[in-house]
Amino acid sequence: MLEIKDLTVQYKGNEDNALADINLSFQKGEFVCILGKSGAGKSTLIRCLNGLQKPTEGEIQWEGKLLSDLKEEQLRKVRREMGMIFQHFNLVPRLSVIQNVLTGLFGYRSTFKNLVGWYTKDELNRAKEVIDNVGLTDFTHRRIERLSGGQKQRVGIARALLQQPKALLGDEPVSSLDPGTSNHIFTLLKEIHREHDLLTIINVHDVELAIRYATRVIALKDGVITFDGKPEDFDNDAYYDTYESVRSNGEKVPFT
Amino acid sequence: MWFKRRSIFTLLLLAAFTYVSMRLTEFDISKFKDFRNMIDFLTQWFPMDTSNLPRMIEDSILTVAMGFLGSFLGLIVALPISFMAAWNTSPSKFLFHLTRVILSFVRSIPEIVFGLILLTALGLGPFPAVLAMMFHNIGVLGKLISELIEASDPGPQEAMKAVGAKKGFGNIFSILPQIWPNVLSNYFYRFEVAIRTSLILGFIGAGGIGQRLFNDFKTFQYPSVALDVLLIMIIVIIVDLLGSYVRKRII
Repeated sequence: MLEIKDLTVQYKGNEDNALADINLSFQKGEFVCILGKSGAGKSTLIRCLNGLQKPTEGEIQWEGKLLSDLKEEQLRKVRREMGMIFQHFNLVPRLSVIQNVLTGLFGYRSTFKNLVGWYTKDELNRAKEVIDNVGLTDFTHRRIERLSGGQKQRVGIARALLQQPKALLGDEPVSSLDPGTSNHIFTLLKEIHREHDLLTIINVHDVELAIRYATRVIALKDGVITFDGKPEDFDNDAYYDTYESVRSNGEKVPFT
Repeated sequence: MWFKRRSIFTLLLLAAFTYVSMRLTEFDISKFKDFRNMIDFLTQWFPMDTSNLPRMIEDSILTVAMGFLGSFLGLIVALPISFMAAWNTSPSKFLFHLTRVILSFVRSIPEIVFGLILLTALGLGPFPAVLAMMFHNIGVLGKLISELIEASDPGPQEAMKAVGAKKGFGNIFSILPQIWPNVLSNYFYRFEVAIRTSLILGFIGAGGIGQRLFNDFKTFQYPSVALDVLLIMIIVIIVDLLGSYVRKRII
């Protein structure tokens, strides 16, 4: 469904590769968590998948279409098939929950209709349905400034869901949330994943969270894959390879 | 510590600048020994002459209309231009530089110069004054708004890209709600400035309460001048109150 071939990304003014020669293949139904330290290349990888970041070398194929071949218009069509949620939620400020959720339809509608804000009954009902799905029915018309972090991320998920995506990408969606809320969000993501039969790819900091929810774990270090496999196989060795957690006396720190 | 040795040097430099500027501007407190003259002069202003009040109010309304149009038309034109003049939303490098140059060019020309030039083609009256203020405000508001756009949070813009929205529309939709309160407060400040400018433009025949003030002054009708000044103060205060009310409602 999603193929990454020889992907290399180098940022301007930085000699080290953010990603070096990555090869990956994702199938529908996989719930993938990407682990790694800050700066390991997790964000870069996720952002390459929907073309927010242009690869320096290599290619990305979505359902047989090479992203680099696509014109702006076709790239937009690919993007609307991939919902994305963000660490800082990236909601439009000073708008209400439903106004933010409805932006999930922007890829499908004409600029004129979006500008005027004219929505059909069906579109409004679908928006209310996804808001209901993420448990925010009572907050439908509340301004997003008045929501908690967890609620804001639910709005982000509802927006992505309204796109009727085939894939869901998450760029550290729970990194600014407390552990309890993070668990709730992951439970919700997993439910949505099952219900809509998605491909879900999410960056996480929290190893335990990844192992609990993922069907596949990928670990990155300095732009290179250090682990790719089942979560139950992510052992202490893989953990050291990824995080280099060593005490000052040279003793390795186990993660469990 | 916030006080560094270099600060002493800065202070000395500032003191030197202040001294030189005072010499150049003949800044001299002792000149106030002729204070009595001013008091005598001001006593001639009272009691106010209210015989012309209806005409004065008409002129005040004209002044408000000039200030409003001069700033509002400026805002309407400046809004789309400022999206071209912000590096993060400009459609092309060429347009970015072009609009920047145009904005600083129209900003560098004072309204009174625009007014004097337009006067030759349009004759006396409020119309050239409105155009003069509009041009200047395009420059000022274009710069201020483009800076607000550049300082806006890029996150929502990225989200609009990710949902597959068209680039230009996504930018506008995600940025405008963020900057709107600040755009309005800048606008109301410029509205207030435009009213004061339209007074100055009254001196070159633009009409309104500014021209009346100028004429009353020239003909030594100080009791009328007093009322003109009072009306001007009232206008500025009303616009200021209106501005803070609208801002409170919008935030």
